[in-house]
Order: sequence, then structure tokens, then C-alpha cells
Amino acid sequence: MTSFPLLSIVLWLPALGALLLLLLPRNRDALYRQVGLMFTVATFVVSLGLLVSFSTPAGAAASAAAPPTMRLLEQLPWIPAWGVGYSIGLDGVSLWLVLLTTLLTPIAAWASWNSITTQVRYFQVLLLLLETALIGVFVSVDLFLFYIFWEFTLIPMALMIGIWGGANRMAAAMKFFLYTFAASLLMLLSIIGVYALHRSAIGATQPGFGGTFDLLRIVADLRSGAFALDGNLARLLFGGFLAAFAVKAPIWPFHSWLPDAYSEAPTPVVILLSAVMSKLGTYGLVRFNLTLFPEAAGWAAPAVAVLAVIGILYGAMVAYAQSDMKRLVAYSSLSHMGFVVLGIFALNGLGVSGAVLQMVNHGLTTAALFLIVGMLESRRGSRDLAAFGGLWQATPVLGGLTLLVVLSSAGLPGLNGFVGEFTIMQGAYSSPTLGWPFLAFAVLGVVLAVVYLLRMFRSAFMGDTLAETASLRDLNRQELAVLVLLCLPMVAIGLFPNLLLVSVEEGVAGVMRGILVAVASR
Amino acid sequence: MEQIQIPPVDLAVVAPLITVVGWAIVLLLVDVFFVPAGQKRITGYLGIAGLVMAGAVAAPLWGSDSSTFGGMLVLDNFALALTWIFLLIGAISMVIALDYLPRQGIEQGEFYPLIMFAVSAMMLLGQSANLIVMFLGIELLSITLYILTGFAYPRLSSEEAAMKYLLLGAFAAGFFVYGIALIYGQTGTVQLFSTAPGQESLAEYLGRQTFAAVDLTLLLVGSGLVLVAFGFKVALVPFHMWTPDVYEGAPTPVTAFMSVGTKGAALAALLRLLDMALPSLQPIWLPVLATLAAVTMLLGNLGAIAQSNVKRMLAYSSIGHAGYLLLGVMTVSERGVQGFLFYLLAYSLTNLGAFAVLIALEQRGEAAWSLDDFAGLWQRQPFLALAMAVFMLSLAGVPPTAGFVGKFYVFMAAWEGGLGWLALVGMLTSAIAAFFYLRVIARMFMQEPVRDVQPQLFRGLTLGISIAAAGTLIFGILPTLLINVVQQTALAVGR
Amino acid sequence: MLTDFLPILVLFLVAAFIAVFVIVVSSLLGPRKSTARKLAPYESGMEPIGPAITRIPVKFYVVAMLFIVFDIEVVFFFPYALVFRELGVPGLIGFGVFFLVLIAGFIYEWKKGALKWE
Repeated sequence: MTSFPLLSIVLWLPALGALLLLLLPRNRDALYRQVGLMFTVATFVVSLGLLVSFSTPAGAAASAAAPPTMRLLEQLPWIPAWGVGYSIGLDGVSLWLVLLTTLLTPIAAWASWNSITTQVRYFQVLLLLLETALIGVFVSVDLFLFYIFWEFTLIPMALMIGIWGGANRMAAAMKFFLYTFAASLLMLLSIIGVYALHRSAIGATQPGFGGTFDLLRIVADLRSGAFALDGNLARLLFGGFLAAFAVKAPIWPFHSWLPDAYSEAPTPVVILLSAVMSKLGTYGLVRFNLTLFPEAAGWAAPAVAVLAVIGILYGAMVAYAQSDMKRLVAYSSLSHMGFVVLGIFALNGLGVSGAVLQMVNHGLTTAALFLIVGMLESRRGSRDLAAFGGLWQATPVLGGLTLLVVLSSAGLPGLNGFVGEFTIMQGAYSSPTLGWPFLAFAVLGVVLAVVYLLRMFRSAFMGDTLAETASLRDLNRQELAVLVLLCLPMVAIGLFPNLLLVSVEEGVAGVMRGILVAVASR
Repeated sequence: MEQIQIPPVDLAVVAPLITVVGWAIVLLLVDVFFVPAGQKRITGYLGIAGLVMAGAVAAPLWGSDSSTFGGMLVLDNFALALTWIFLLIGAISMVIALDYLPRQGIEQGEFYPLIMFAVSAMMLLGQSANLIVMFLGIELLSITLYILTGFAYPRLSSEEAAMKYLLLGAFAAGFFVYGIALIYGQTGTVQLFSTAPGQESLAEYLGRQTFAAVDLTLLLVGSGLVLVAFGFKVALVPFHMWTPDVYEGAPTPVTAFMSVGTKGAALAALLRLLDMALPSLQPIWLPVLATLAAVTMLLGNLGAIAQSNVKRMLAYSSIGHAGYLLLGVMTVSERGVQGFLFYLLAYSLTNLGAFAVLIALEQRGEAAWSLDDFAGLWQRQPFLALAMAVFMLSLAGVPPTAGFVGKFYVFMAAWEGGLGWLALVGMLTSAIAAFFYLRVIARMFMQEPVRDVQPQLFRGLTLGISIAAAGTLIFGILPTLLINVVQQTALAVGR
Repeated sequence: MLTDFLPILVLFLVAAFIAVFVIVVSSLLGPRKSTARKLAPYESGMEPIGPAITRIPVKFYVVAMLFIVFDIEVVFFFPYALVFRELGVPGLIGFGVFFLVLIAGFIYEWKKGALKWE
């Protein structure tokens, strides 16, 4: 624990940028863009400092009942009357997701330079606010604070889809907001329930205990046995959390907002939506569902895993049927998030670690894919696969990088996607709750992924060169730099997964302590 | 000759009340004698000054717990908190009316004293510990509101609204009086709780009874009738039929005032009745009220979905919000009372602000309240659009707004009071409500203007909207400022 | 407890019975011979002239309302007069306040012209 509030700086720097943007003089679009990019890049640079505190491994946990070990913990009272605190901290699970966010936001800001031409100032403001909210979700260790950030991500995101989106943007934005908001309310009720139950349980032995929303405290009491969440009520509360996360991730069949939102959102927005926002859901499953309700998680695991597998196959098959590239990538995203959920509900260290790893991987690859689709769309004016053909001739560099990204997404060994999916499948196979049937379907999902991704690649980049695409220009220096920036970590993770895995496993171990106890006692 | 002893009057207890009433009477005369026609906003300024002064008079009384007039009026922190909320509601309503009245050609100086009388009636309701005083408050409030509702004479919708309100209000008053009579018939008292040792009151009476032994039919029937009367005033489903018409027809500042003030005052009185006089009957009235609250939340919000007129939509949504407020009333817990006060202030600021935005869109003689009129507002009046977005989000209960914290507060109270299912209903209806609030935001930001509406902003209106928006955000981000205050009010419950 | 109200209930029933009884009996026993004169609206024995529903100038309502307001309030003076001495100074102050409010209302309506007929 340091006294220097590094994490707070990472969290609030973008918001500060948003405030500054509002104070700038009128009609200076170029300036707004530069300021927006500057702040997101600065946030990324500062966030690299977070790695320093993870350079030393944490000491062994005090006991099997200790809550997850948080580093860079900052705790200030916020609403003392309710036991709500401004508590933020990082563990191995959230660290990489924060870095993913800070890496992808500058890329989204950069992507907005060309694609966002109206109301530039407000776009940058919303982008920066969104970044703060997203980081806030990952670092909150207070249930109330978490909920505030969680809901607040919706406002900038819905506005960005609705103002700068495609033709059908208003309906897409409304649908996105209402789906996620409705599900979040169920989570809110669960949060209240956990708080009230904890308060009365602890208050019975400690008179004068006013209740707390501090996740670490609640989990510590859960694991020490001072507070028990079990029985049907716990399962209902578990369901409340699950509902919010299932819609956000999304898990089939709660995905129906996804195709509209993904295909209407402009490129910079869809990057954040698919790469970071969907991780909020799976992150929440790890952080809250597994730590607060280990018993209920074990109870629900087979059912959720079945949904995840259906999602993998359904997403893959629907993706195959798409001719619109953006929708294709959107459905592939649904399929890949199914893997993450499967890994989480394997309920063992391997599965969950693989899931966290795969969240980062999917964030990188899907952001790159949407970026590429955006580049193609801006060049050709269409996202229809039929409008492209033989692009390799005209744009070999783009083609090469696209191939790399596609292969990463399809899970080629040596690239990042393989590491994540393989770990997840190992986890599912050795899981106490799942087993080889899930593994079999997951493998089928990987095969299908190869099919639809290569089909897309073949139809756009291979074959006869269409007259309209022959003259498309290749990547310029900026575009190349950005794509390479995204591809570097893909290769790096693929070759040296331990870069991430060490800290991820440490974080997951903190989460899993409760599960292992629960599973062992069954 | 024997002297009749008049009980000593503790003027401190009624000081804020006297300030408002006295000022209003003087203002009425000042207006007729000294304020020239066409400059009636001077009366408005004086009225606002009076409300501010009453607030200042009330300040040193914080923390006191006293009563006067033989215990009929009490002054505790709960009453004081309500007093400030009502004064704020009155002041903001006057501020947003300053420009509205001349623009609509209905500028009459009486508007401001009438608002002050209504505010004093609301304060009286907050302070009353006696059913008769409660009735007095309700009648004073209703009569001023009948006049204010019809203030836009000769606009027909306004007159129709006033007529409807009068008929149903008189009906409700009848229920109330009959209920009081029955309660008195059973218990021999109309005092809610004892303020002095030996004083007879409903709480005392119930404390003496063992339930199996006594037939409480009359008391229950009487309480039921009183509840029906409150239901009319608060617009609980199924007593809400008048609400959309009246709210739509009344002049907009009056609608704003009514939608928050009447509800707040009547619910505060109901809270005192239920939590301080009849808490031992909770097993009997809780199912009834819980059902009413559930139906109110559900039908209010479902009704709002169908509206394309934003003023009417807000009318329906205010029905729904009465249901949320009721959650805090019925739990008979400190948390419930605190939640009620917090929600009331949050909802008041938000709703007043939302109606103020409607005023900006209202042209002389014609209203521009359809959803189409909101299309593209962001491009024409960013300030209005932004403020309206804040209000809509707060009404929907999205953080970081005061509306969210208020909802959280009452839902927490409901859960802890064993009403988890009702909290669930509240959550689900909030999700429904988000749809129509969000629709306004979507229209404002994501659409091109459909019609040529020129919203007009005046200084008073800008001020009112700014205060409301700032309050909504500040109490959303730093709720602890307000929570610390409302926490000191709940001590009075369960006396 | 409730039995205390039994006489009231009995009274209520008797009253209702008498009312119903009279109507029923008179309609059963009474002769029915309707003439044009009998069917005409009753106007204190005068020949009916014009429609029964006519518009009355709104001024009458104002006067009626003012009368009721002040009449009711003045009614309070009578009991006060009876206990004037017993109430002493506090009573005088209390009634003074009441009277001032009344006067304020009176001045207001005077100034507003509610007392002018034209």
C-alpha cells in the first residue's frame, strides 16, 4: 500500500481532461482532438506505473480465509452513514483490464479523428468520461461505488451510440441503455440485500455495527464464517448479479441488444463497447459472483456453462451467416465471450485464469478487428463482404496485419487467442462442475471460429480483385503504427503468456479461496 | 367569576408558520395598494424574501422537540426538515413563475401570496400531531390549490382542471372528516400521540389495548377512510384518476408546485399518523399500503409510457413517484423516515426543474410539450437540454444524481423492513420508467429538430433550473451532506 | 364499545323506514289524476313564465360568497362576547389576531372592488 494515490490519478485523469475540454474556446475541433488524445495517452503512460507495484509477488495469503489481496488500496469514507467508502484497489484480475482500457481508449480517440466530424468537443468529453467510468468499475472494491461507476458507463456510451451512430442509432442506443439498465437494477437489489444481510448478521454479535458496502470486509466475514450467504435467498441474490453481468457480457440469450448496438456505433465507440464494456460483465462475474456466492456459483455453474456453450455455437453460426463485416465481428464477439464465461464457471484456478487472460486477448483482437472493419468501411464506403475482393493486391500491409489478427482471434498457437482458449478448455475439462462434454462443444466452437473468420478474410482479401477495390490505398503511417501497437501485445502474450499469467493467477487465487472452500465442503 | 385558563402558547413552535402566514397577509395588501399592474414580479420578489426569512427563522430551532396549543402542533427535526423542503419548493415555484405569468398574460399579484398560504398549509401538515389540525392543513392547502389551478383563466383546460380538482378534493375532504369522526367515536381522541404525560392520544389508547380483547372495527374503518382521503391527495392508484387532467390543465408552475408539495405534505402527515399513532396496527395496514404502493408504482409508470405529451407524462410519472415515497412511509423505521425525506427533497428538486424546462418551451397561449418539440433541443438550447437530461436521469434513478440515492435509500429501507418483494417491484417499475425518461433524452440529443420551437429563457427561469440541477447533482455526488441532516430527524419515530 | 352506537343505528333505521314507508304508501294509496296544472312547475302559485334555468349575474355569487365568509367569521364573536371577561388579556390578544386577519381580508376585497356593484 502506497501513500501516493497512483490509482486515483489513473482513474480521474481522463475526467480532468473532460473538464478541461469544456473550458476550451469554441470551434477548435483540431485542438479538442489533440487534447482528448493527449489525456488518454497520458493516462496510459501513468497506468503503466501500476505494473511497478506488481513486480514483486505478493506474500502468501495470511490464511485460506483471507479476502483477495488488493494492491494500491485507497480507502476514504464517502457516505459514512451507510458504510460506503471511496475504496479502490487492484489485484491481478483487474490490473490487466485497467491496462487494456487505458491502451484502447487512446486508440479509440485516435480512430475518432477521421470518423467523428460533428460536435467533436462533446465526443471527446464523453470518451474521457467513459474511460474514467470504465476504469472505475475495474478498480472499485466498494459495492456502492462499483454500482455508481457501473451505471455511469451507460450514459456516455448510450449518448455516443445515439448521437454519432448509424441510421438506426436512436433505437439502438435506447435498446442498449434499457436492457442493461433493467438488468442492473436487479443487481442493485442484490447489493442492497447483501448489505442488509451482512449488517444484520454482524450486528447480531457486534452491537452498533452500521453495515458496510466494503467488498473486502464482506468477503473476509464470509470466509471466516462470521457471515453466511446460503440457501435460496443467496441464490436469488446471485441471480441478481448474474442478470446484470449476463446482459453486459452478453451471455446468450441476453444478447439481443448487441447486434444493433455494435453495428450502429461508430468505430471508436464500438472498439470500447466490444473490447472493454463487454469485459465489465465477465469481470463482474469473477469479482462478485464468485467471491460473494461460492456456493450458489457451484449450484448454477452447469446451467450457466450450458448457456455459455450455446452462446459459443450460436454466435459462431450466426457470424458465419453475416455478410456485413461489422455484424460478423459482433457475433464473433458473442461467441468468444462464451468462452470467457465457460472458463469462469469451470470454477477452478485454470478456468478462471484462462478466462481473465482471454478477456484481455479478446479485447485486443476484437478491437483490432473493428478497427480494420472501420478502415475498410471508410475506404470503400461499405461493410458488405460482397463489396470487397482481392484486397491483398491493393493493400498487402493491411492484409498481412488482418491475417495476423484473424488468426489470433481463431486461436492459432503462438498467438494470444490460443493461450487463453487452451487454458479455458483445460479448466473446463478438469472442472469439478463441468467436464468433457463442455470441452467437446468448445472445440467445435473453435473450429467454427476458424471457418467464419477465414471465410471473411478469404472473401475480402483473396480471390479476384474487384474493379472498385483495386485502387484502395494501403495503410498510412499512423494507421500502421496503431495496428502494430495492437498486434505487438498479441504476439507477446502468445509467446510469453507468463507475462500476464503470473499476476493473473495470483489475483485468481484470491478469488478462488472461497470457491475451494465451498467446493470442498460440498 | 372564574378565569378560563388558556394554555400557554410557545411561539417558537409556530414561528416559521407565523412568519409565512403573516407575510402572506401583509403581502396581499401591499400588492393591492402599492404594486402597480404589470410589475407584479415585485410581489414575487417580496414573496421569495418572505420564504427565505421564514427559513432563517426556523434555523435556530433545529434540534428542538417541543409542542404547543395543547400538543396539537409539534416542532421536531422531522417537521423542521419538512419546513425547509416546503419553503424551498415554494421559493423555486415562485422563481420559475416570475416570467411565466406575464408571458401567459395571467399576471395577478395574488399568485405569490397564494403560494405562500399553500406553503404554510404544507408546513402545518408537517407539524400537526392532531387529526383536526391535519384536516385544517389539508383544507387550507386544497383551497389555495383550487384557485391556483384555475389561475390561467380564461384558458378552458385550466378551469376544467380546477373544477375537477375541486369536486374530487371536496369528496376526499368528506372522507377525511368522516374518518376522523369514526376514529373519535372509538377512541375518544383525535390526538396522534401524547406530548405531555397523561394526555390522551391514539398511541396511548392503542398502547393500553390487548388486541384480541377489543373490537377495533370503528378505528380501522375510520383509518381506512382517512387513508382514502390521503390517497386522493397524494394520487395513489386507484385514487389517481384526476391527476393527469389536473396537472396538465394547471399553469405549469402550479403543476410543479402541486406535484411535489401536495404529495410531500400529505405523505408527511400520513407518515406521522401511521408511524407515530398507529405503529402497533402495522400488521393490519401494511399489506394494504404495500399493495397500494405496488399498484401505484406499476400503473403510474405504465400510464406514462403511453403519453406523447411530456407534461402529461410527468403527471403520470409523479403518480409513480408517490409509490416510491410511500415505501419510506410504511416501513416504520428510522431508515424509512430518512429515506422519505431524502427522496422527497431529491424528487422535489428534480421535478421542479423538469417542469421549469417545460415552462421555457411554453409559448404564450400555446404549449410545446409534445415529444417532437424536444427533438434536437440540444442544438438549439444546450443548457436546457443538459438540465433536462439531468432531471430525467434523476427521475429514472441513474447515478450520479440525487434521484438515484433517494431510490437507494427507500429501497434499502424497504428491504430492511422485510419488504424485499416491494423493493423488487420498485426496481422493475424503475426499469419501465427509464424507458420514457430516456425517450426524452434521446429526442433531445439524437434527433434533428422536428418543429420550429423557440425556447425562451429568462433570468428567473435560468436561476430556478440551475438551482434544481445543481442540487440534483450535488446531492447525487455528495449525498452525505444531506444524509447527515436527515439522520437527525428520525429520532422522533416510534415515540 | 360498538354497542354504544346501537341507538344511533336504530334511529337511522327508523328514519329510513319512515321515509320509505311514506313514499311507498302514498304512491300505493294516493289517487292518480294528473292535469296540466298539476304537471306544471311549481312557482309559489304563480303562472310559470319562461324556462326554469336562467343565468344569474356573477355578482350575486360574489356577494353570496362574501356574506358567507364574513357571516361565519362573525359568528365567532358571539361566543367570545359571552366569555370576554373570563378569558382576560390572553383572550383579547388571541381575538385581536383573529380580528386583524379578518380586517385584512376585508380591506383586500374592498380595494379589489368586490363590494362595488357596478
